[in-house]
Amino acid sequence: MERRLLLVGILEMFAPGQVQAGDIAVLEAGASPLAGLPFPAVATNVSYVDGVTGGNVFVMTLEGARRVAAAMMGASEPEPAADGSVELTELEASAVSEAMNQMMATAAGAISTVLGTEVEIGTPETRTFVSEAEADGAYPASPHMVRAAFSVCGEPCRLVQLVPNAFVVRMDRALDELGAETVPGAGAAAASASPAAAVQSPHGAPSLAGIPVRVWAELGRASMPTADVVGLPQGAVVELDRAPDEPIDLFVNGRRFATGRLVVVDSDWAVRIESVLDLSSNSSDIEGEVARWPVSS
Amino acid sequence: MARVLVADDAAFMRKMVGDALTKGGHEVVGEAGNGVEGVAQYQALKPEVTTLDITMPEKDGLAALKEIIALDPAARIVMCSALGQESKVLESIKAGAKDFVVKPFQPDRVIEAVGKALG
Repeated sequence: MERRLLLVGILEMFAPGQVQAGDIAVLEAGASPLAGLPFPAVATNVSYVDGVTGGNVFVMTLEGARRVAAAMMGASEPEPAADGSVELTELEASAVSEAMNQMMATAAGAISTVLGTEVEIGTPETRTFVSEAEADGAYPASPHMVRAAFSVCGEPCRLVQLVPNAFVVRMDRALDELGAETVPGAGAAAASASPAAAVQSPHGAPSLAGIPVRVWAELGRASMPTADVVGLPQGAVVELDRAPDEPIDLFVNGRRFATGRLVVVDSDWAVRIESVLDLSSNSSDIEGEVARWPVSS
Repeated sequence: MARVLVADDAAFMRKMVGDALTKGGHEVVGEAGNGVEGVAQYQALKPEVTTLDITMPEKDGLAALKEIIALDPAARIVMCSALGQESKVLESIKAGAKDFVVKPFQPDRVIEAVGKALG
């Protein structure tokens, strides 16, 4: 879910106000990432080349690809295609590839945060398919596939994640390790909060109540360019965005779930919870409250 | 106004960066599609500013940056990175890049970065 928000954010930058997120579905093993989409279709695939295995395919209708490319180049409408042409121009193909490249770079950054290691992506490859038969077998069969649907510039598109078993194992292990960092004593608060129920093991653990989650408190935030961060001398003061008398935030696995006051218990810092947030609603303002890594999609 | 070399493997990004620079009154004197071409074009054209995409085939932007700085320690280079490449951006700045822009970017940000590189 969080990752999809990130990707919608990237698409929005290219085509402002023209992106809508749709449903997310798990595809059957061996299914074609392009199955059921109108043809001709344009597909861009990017593989992870370092850190993890697998990749993603971003699929759009030909018309959708033309419109996205036009929006990226600041035009409201695509140039009329040559008579009956089902090929993108070199510039259009490059624009679509770049959109996918930037979405994948963001995804790789998020995965890298979970794994604690650099995750590199390869060069995007964009192809046009005129029929489902032509697309059949174009991408290697993957044991796990997740499809996120979008609408961009009024045309359907989808992002399909191709997930090999090795990827599942690595992410599973990394999420377990993150869970092992649970703050002692905070488990009770976390277990009673509903986001834990949203954290599903890729293997589909039968019971979710016993999964350890990482809980942390946030005093405040600051935002500055990387160059300034690099140049911070010892003794520099970084101002945070929170007044001393304001409550602090508590997060569980990346999601803000409560606010409270910092107190001292037995000479250790602790947080007295003042309010637990309603997490049942999928309000649109959660983006800023979500740490940037995927909780298994 | 400066003479600028633009290196990016994506034709679309070369056009975006080139259009932004032209809008800012600069002249794009050459384009390169990978790091190897970037270094060769730098030697041939001696641009006042070079923009280098970090992710390129053959030789990536970071390797090209280091080669260019070794050839010409006064080279003014602006890196183009995607989100999530913070560690490479930091390494680039340490290796001598003057500034960086993060994709997707607004044209004004490119002009500003080139202006900063020119000092």
